[in-house]
Amino acid sequence: MATQTPNKPKQDPSVEKVVNQLREAFADAPQMAKTGLENALPELIAQAAEAQASKTQTAGRIGIRQGTVSELTVIAPFAPGGAKRLRTVLRLLNGNFSGGKKVGTLHDMRFVFLDNDTKFLFATAYDGEWDPYIDDFATKIPDEMDVIFSSFEGWPGIRSPAVKDWIVRHQIPAEGWYVAHPDLTVTEIQRMKSVDKAVEELLDKVG
Amino acid sequence: MDTVTESIGANSSTRTPTLDLHEIQATVLRPRPAPYVGTHVLIRVDEPQAGRELLRRLTPHIDSAAGWWTAANAWLSVAISYSGLSALGVPPESLRSFPVAFREGMAARAEQLRDGGVNHPTNWEAPFGTGQVHIGVSAFSDSAEKMRRVLDNARAQYEALPGVKVVLIEPFGAQPGDLNPLGYKDGIDQPAIEGSGLEPLPGQGRPIKAGEFILGYPGEAGVPLPMPQPDILGRNGTYVGVRKYQSRVGAFNRFLRAHGSTEEERELIAAKLVGRWRSGAPLTLAPNADDPALGADPQRNNDFDYSNDPRGHEAPFGCHLRRMNPRDTKLFRLTDVNQHRLIRRGTTFGAPYDPNALSEEDDHVPRGAFFLFMSAKAMATIEFLQEEWINDGDFIGVGHERDPIIGLQDDGAIFTIPRKPARRHLVGIETFNVLRGGEYMFIPSLSALKWLADLKG
Repeated sequence: MATQTPNKPKQDPSVEKVVNQLREAFADAPQMAKTGLENALPELIAQAAEAQASKTQTAGRIGIRQGTVSELTVIAPFAPGGAKRLRTVLRLLNGNFSGGKKVGTLHDMRFVFLDNDTKFLFATAYDGEWDPYIDDFATKIPDEMDVIFSSFEGWPGIRSPAVKDWIVRHQIPAEGWYVAHPDLTVTEIQRMKSVDKAVEELLDKVG
Repeated sequence: MDTVTESIGANSSTRTPTLDLHEIQATVLRPRPAPYVGTHVLIRVDEPQAGRELLRRLTPHIDSAAGWWTAANAWLSVAISYSGLSALGVPPESLRSFPVAFREGMAARAEQLRDGGVNHPTNWEAPFGTGQVHIGVSAFSDSAEKMRRVLDNARAQYEALPGVKVVLIEPFGAQPGDLNPLGYKDGIDQPAIEGSGLEPLPGQGRPIKAGEFILGYPGEAGVPLPMPQPDILGRNGTYVGVRKYQSRVGAFNRFLRAHGSTEEERELIAAKLVGRWRSGAPLTLAPNADDPALGADPQRNNDFDYSNDPRGHEAPFGCHLRRMNPRDTKLFRLTDVNQHRLIRRGTTFGAPYDPNALSEEDDHVPRGAFFLFMSAKAMATIEFLQEEWINDGDFIGVGHERDPIIGLQDDGAIFTIPRKPARRHLVGIETFNVLRGGEYMFIPSLSALKWLADLKG
């Protein structure tokens, strides 16, 4: 296999630059990291070329997007009593906030309590952008939004014009993020599942 | 100035006016005459004093929504862009109180508006997107003669002022049969606005809170939208997104001919793209053939929902009508359809629709429409529509398909017609309406116009 280089990209000067940058960054790393880097270099370079081609975009005002999927990470301090309230809500739901299905664009949601219940991390992957839909949240699920997010210091309320700024102020864009199917929205996945089910049913009848 | 009438939230009808109609420009709340003629005049302000003098002279001639039906002459409206407000000498703290998208302007928002490719601002006609469109004056009338009188009068005002310069004069007018440049009756579906004083039409849906359309009143979430300051400048004003489209009638006809071998087939496809037949009759009420009597009847032509068409077998999910107002369609993204409505004033220009136009040259014959989209958050709504409902299809379950009439299409784009036993794909849909320019503008109240005219410095 080692001699096979079917898609070897032309050695352009930028690759050499990247290799030098990596070696420099790893100069003070433990030996195992240095060895690992040298072994992984060909793979890393290939992936970097692929990543350049797929081009990561920004999602709305802040955050990363891969294809149609965007990421949002918020870290915010809890309001007094907020940690207790949120934990009660989440335990009641067994930690699984399936109400998110209503929104239709959410791939996942993660709620993590940090630093002895003083801070909180909320992370989600979703389709498109949240910004245009904030008004819809304010009229369709205002109570759900306020029950959860008023656990955090300074939450202005989902109906407040200041709410977008609050989110952006506490949002931290990811430095890295992998998405298996950046071309599939939650809607598309649903559609493909129902197509698959129909095909299987048809095959059952034929068989 | 009159104060906002009380108990707006408690009144859910459109008929009793609870809005300050004497303050609101007529064009915001009143349908234009039909048929109509008119002219858009775009003006650059080189000296603040001259611009303010122009406003001072124009303001007495601008009709309010209260006096509209008594207007003997043509009716005038005035809109001002961000660069226009700046050129008029509006103080910086006031300028900063306008929304970011408005301050940046439509050209700078190309990414949010999905205005790429042929629609990109670098391809626009001057003076759109150059920062030179400061004041827009529009005159509407039911007769060319009245129109001329009003325009002559207006011209006398601005020509006497050397510090203002006309950068564009665009005449417009109804086409025969009041059809749009692709040959359809248009502008049927408008949102009903609470307290507007207009009789709601069947099918308009429940009246939407006035604050969604006019600044200073509670919106759908129960609170007023952010308003430019000072209060007198913002209250009773609204925003308008102006977008000029050139219709590629040749491409549209070629597409119909490529997919329909008979006149009947072609007209059915034309109806499937829009969701209405050319007469305005909705497919949902007339699935098999056009019904001109239905199309012409405002009491019936919008009186439907999609409860009997959950699979899109009559009106395809991706058709223009269902996208622009999904009504009770089950959407795949949490959406409040009442949050994304706009008051639309389409004004057509150029040659009428020609069903036999087939050549590439026909695509360039000047003909199209200036669309005026108005609401208290017009920038956010237009950007939402462009991103979500026009240039994507995920929200309604048609993947990445785009609006067949005003979408920006990629090569080999598809339009799906759901039907039994299997859907039909129409391949090769093109960009039939090309964006030629646009601006975000503010439509001040009559008191705000006086405030602007009285600015010092």
